[in-house]
Amino acid sequence: MAQVRAIGRALIFPVIAVLLAFAVGALVIVATGNNVLAAYGALLSGGFGSLQSLGRTIVNATPLIFTGLAVAVPFRAGLFNIGGEGQLFIGAITGVAVGLLMPGPGPVVIVAAIVAAGLGGWLWGAIPGLLKVFGAHEVITTIMLNFVAINLAYWLARNPLVGEGLVPGTDFVPDPVRIMRLGGGLGAAHYGFVLGIVAAIVAYLLIWRTTKGYEIRAVGLAPGAARYAGMSVAANGFLAIALGGMFAGFGGGLEALGTFGKVSVPFVSNLGFNGIGVALLGRNHPAGVVIGALFFGGLSAGAQQMQFATGVPLDLSDVLLAIVLLFVTATKLVELLIGRRARGLEAGTKLEGGLAG
Amino acid sequence: MTSNGTGAVTTSTGGAAPVLSMEAITKAFGGNVANDHIDFDLRRGEVHGLLGENGAGKSTLMKILYGLYKADSGRILLNGEPASINNPSAAVAAGIGMVHQHFMLVPTLTVAENVVLGAEPSRGVLLDHDGAQRAVAALSERYGLKVDPAARVGDLSVGLQQRVEVLKALYRDARILVLDEPTAVLTPQETEDLFGVLRGFVDEGLSIILITHKLGELLGVSDRITVIRDGKVIDTVQAAQTDERQLATLMVGREVVLQVERSPADAGDVRLDARGLDVLDVTGKPAVKGIDLQVRGGEILAVAGVDGNGQVELAEALAGIRPVVSGTVQVDGQDVTALDAGARSDRGLAYIPEDRGGKGLVSEFTLAENFVLKRYDQAPYATRGWLRGSAISRYASERIAAFDVRPANAQATASSLSGGNQQKAIVARELDGDPAVLVANQPTRGVDVGAIEFIHKQLLAQRDRGAAILMISLELDEIHQLADRIVVLCDGRIVGEVAAEDATDEQLGLWMAGRTGEIEQ
Repeated sequence: MAQVRAIGRALIFPVIAVLLAFAVGALVIVATGNNVLAAYGALLSGGFGSLQSLGRTIVNATPLIFTGLAVAVPFRAGLFNIGGEGQLFIGAITGVAVGLLMPGPGPVVIVAAIVAAGLGGWLWGAIPGLLKVFGAHEVITTIMLNFVAINLAYWLARNPLVGEGLVPGTDFVPDPVRIMRLGGGLGAAHYGFVLGIVAAIVAYLLIWRTTKGYEIRAVGLAPGAARYAGMSVAANGFLAIALGGMFAGFGGGLEALGTFGKVSVPFVSNLGFNGIGVALLGRNHPAGVVIGALFFGGLSAGAQQMQFATGVPLDLSDVLLAIVLLFVTATKLVELLIGRRARGLEAGTKLEGGLAG
Repeated sequence: MTSNGTGAVTTSTGGAAPVLSMEAITKAFGGNVANDHIDFDLRRGEVHGLLGENGAGKSTLMKILYGLYKADSGRILLNGEPASINNPSAAVAAGIGMVHQHFMLVPTLTVAENVVLGAEPSRGVLLDHDGAQRAVAALSERYGLKVDPAARVGDLSVGLQQRVEVLKALYRDARILVLDEPTAVLTPQETEDLFGVLRGFVDEGLSIILITHKLGELLGVSDRITVIRDGKVIDTVQAAQTDERQLATLMVGREVVLQVERSPADAGDVRLDARGLDVLDVTGKPAVKGIDLQVRGGEILAVAGVDGNGQVELAEALAGIRPVVSGTVQVDGQDVTALDAGARSDRGLAYIPEDRGGKGLVSEFTLAENFVLKRYDQAPYATRGWLRGSAISRYASERIAAFDVRPANAQATASSLSGGNQQKAIVARELDGDPAVLVANQPTRGVDVGAIEFIHKQLLAQRDRGAAILMISLELDEIHQLADRIVVLCDGRIVGEVAAEDATDEQLGLWMAGRTGEIEQ
């Protein structure tokens, strides 16, 4: 019972934030001279109203689960991983490389490609993790490495791995290496989504059920006590960022092998950064990340429908997302608006100490 | 004389309505009722003590008075007139001054600048420095609080800094002065000085509320004492008609043993041996300077001293959390200087840290998770990297029961417990496994009387079992009760050593102040 109440309490804030954001969005819709109900109706149906919409939502959500985990896991150790974008790119190009170059039966190559993608992401996360041990703040190193990763991936896609098509980038990986679609009218949605759920479950078990997770949490919540208990703040920090990179890498590999089948130039944009928003909305908890990813995914899938049906610009969905995130983190503002104390409700969005600084 | 002042009451100090009357004050935080229909009044020229355990509700009551909280119901009357105090500015305007337990001073500014901060005298757009200094000097003279207005606050001793805090309140024409745990940071002599100053205030017509958990001091300086327990007023008594035992019983709700039974020491071999310890503080300055000390099995060595003289650094160096610049530490003859806290723990060194929220517990973890902080990766609490929740819970429940930690819920978050129970939980964890050496840094600081009794009994039990205990404490009462030998720490050095039966407060106080002769002015 206490568990259910705890979950309830944790959900209040994001729900309130979403409702408030939609209230503000309604004002914008009215300002553009449109009908609020029609617009939101189109938004909802475009995201979740039919199997097709659901399929689009899932396609959008899949990589966001991974990039969300890429932020949420290091957060538990008190660290900010802003390198999800780059880590995702490294995972994508690594996965495609294996998919193109490795001989063998389809299933074997797929598994190898996915593993390679995760490994690539891990390595890309290990770099700032290691630099952190020497004092380099991970926010800076992870951001900077994004540029390196994206350019590296594009260079690989245009040179050693370049394909023969008109669109710049690699060839398509052979069909047997593509991730299978979910089918059932869900369009392009593929099993990467299922792997995303699996990844979230693994992340949960790791953080809350293993001794390593215990260390990571202790180091993130109370480094003084953790040190006293003999834990290595440095080693756990390193591990946490590397794990974050690994999740983003998986996301990139699955996006490349599932949704696109190749790495073209340009490839994707902002999946990594939106992962930060997803993690925040989901209070940095794996279950929240999945819900947050579906929310983000549904919002962008629905926005097109909304623009088509009512003329409300696509950008409104970005505005809505931004306002939601604002409210989720600006707990005091929401307190003011709803007149309640938010004690304990901001868990999972604030960092006290940790390894910061 | 009635003890609840409502309406005109003739008092022994003359006059009509009490200068302050809080009626039926109720305040709840979520489900927790911090103040439950509390009636409290203050007469003119009175020193009224407010006594209660941690979490009893006295701080909440005073915060309501000072405008930091708003009561859910009840009212406040000042000189018989209802008053609405919505924020600290309103409280100050109403003549209420508060001297906080944790000072709010700017170390880089002078005394005068700190005192006038927020109500600066100005000449046009410029701060009137001379005017400020003159005003502060005048106050200082009138109220007998000697302090140099031009001195830099950061250079002052803690006792003098407290005077600056009091001057801040007086500068704003406080007629009611509330002091929150004022003697926590003072030497015995400074405490005497403070109480003399307070009596002087009363002569000037001020009324004083003294919040504390130190029974003995209250009896010495108060006129009346109100005891609060679990958010309710238990009783308001005349100081002259009560004693420590009665007050303790009122505070806790049952008979409390203030003097634990202590049999003579049966000291064995040296189990903790520290030589030539040099330790730096967080800013890199030397905090511990060449300390030697030995503690034998079956003995409690108390380290006395005013807060901030190297206690934390010494304790952490012995525990293995803080590296030493030079020196050695041995446990049962084995050199552990190079070992970290975890490894020293394996060798039998247990450590009860000072700031329980920061170093001894992870506040956001459950009690159960905190209990296995030092053994989470060992069987039966984990197998092959997976935590065994049921084994952990069972261990936690057993420890909770053995040490009467309340509430007895292993899944409760550590931060939801009162300070005393958090400390009991840490003690429960550290004393498991019968350590060879126990380093306790202020083990009962901020802890309520009931839990103090318990922890003291546990420490004595370990001592009787043959452990070597080094206990750092700021409370001379505690030291007198538990110590077999006493050393005094001042400015990072041991400046005095004495057997417990030969120790006097005067001598300890002088050592603590770093003086061998006269007391500082």
